[in-house]
Amino acid sequence: MHELSICYTIVETLQEVVKENEIEEVEAIVLEIGELSSIVPKYMENCFPCAVDGTLFEKSKLTIEVVEGIGRCKRCGYSYRLLPVEGYCPNCDVKDFDVISGEEFIIKELICF
Amino acid sequence: MKEFKILEVKRSIFENNDRQADLLREELKKEKVFLLNLMSSPGSGKTTTLMKTIGALKEEMKIGVMEADIDSDVDASTIATSGVKVIQLHTGGMCHLDADMTKQGLEGLGTQDIDFAILENVGNLVCPAEFDTGAVKNAMILSVPEGDDKPLKYPLMFSICDVLLINKIDVLPYFNFDIEACKERVMKLNPKIQVIPIASSTGEGMEDWYEWIRTQVRQWNE
Repeated sequence: MHELSICYTIVETLQEVVKENEIEEVEAIVLEIGELSSIVPKYMENCFPCAVDGTLFEKSKLTIEVVEGIGRCKRCGYSYRLLPVEGYCPNCDVKDFDVISGEEFIIKELICF
Repeated sequence: MKEFKILEVKRSIFENNDRQADLLREELKKEKVFLLNLMSSPGSGKTTTLMKTIGALKEEMKIGVMEADIDSDVDASTIATSGVKVIQLHTGGMCHLDADMTKQGLEGLGTQDIDFAILENVGNLVCPAEFDTGAVKNAMILSVPEGDDKPLKYPLMFSICDVLLINKIDVLPYFNFDIEACKERVMKLNPKIQVIPIASSTGEGMEDWYEWIRTQVRQWNE
């Protein structure tokens, strides 16, 4: 449900973008989704055809680039991928970090004619 | 082969909604309407808390309520018995409200003679946290039976709220719920949040909650 409404939101934003740039045909839509965001890329892909139905993007391909969730340990400064270790620093075993990447949720680019 | 180009968009997926939400807040500021977005899981006592709140404050300020549900108008019918203006919003299967739906709801409610509008969001701790509704402040209710580990499970919800009501504290003796541990978890996610323990059915702690609302409404209209 969540992913579907996000797909609708994306379509709305894209409609503005194509209007501003006078684009007539979009080959592909590239999204950047961080693995720490609450979005499941597979569901996005499934919901996408429904949201683009009857729009300019009906035939556009959806590409999702997943961004790794990286944190920096506040104690020792070590940077590591958060998900495999459930947030615990592999260096000092403390779960206290600043997120460096992985919360992205961006329409990155359009490939168009 | 056709020539193609790559157009860099680099726009947050939520940008559209965030912009609409900001516009809505500007309008609310002009109209002197304080809009509160109330969120929680299903069954945490949103409607009961709301009924008590309306009863206590309706002589002081003009209140309007928007009840958002996927379907049904059970909650709206309950609120209607309190005598304040209420409308039901159906999200049509969606798990949350966005700024545009909220704006339409406010138009339906009519804000000319409202000081304090309450949006009772869909019972859900995930999706409503992602979408700015355009409300001035966000409140959430966590009830004791749900457990004190909820801040760990739904961190985003706790980090976007301005106030947290811990409801049903009258049943604390029967549950393994540690208020201090819960507060600590919440404050770690969101140091600015205010935590108010209440029992909406007995009225315990409710005066603190009313005072929070009074202060917010006053500050918004200054």
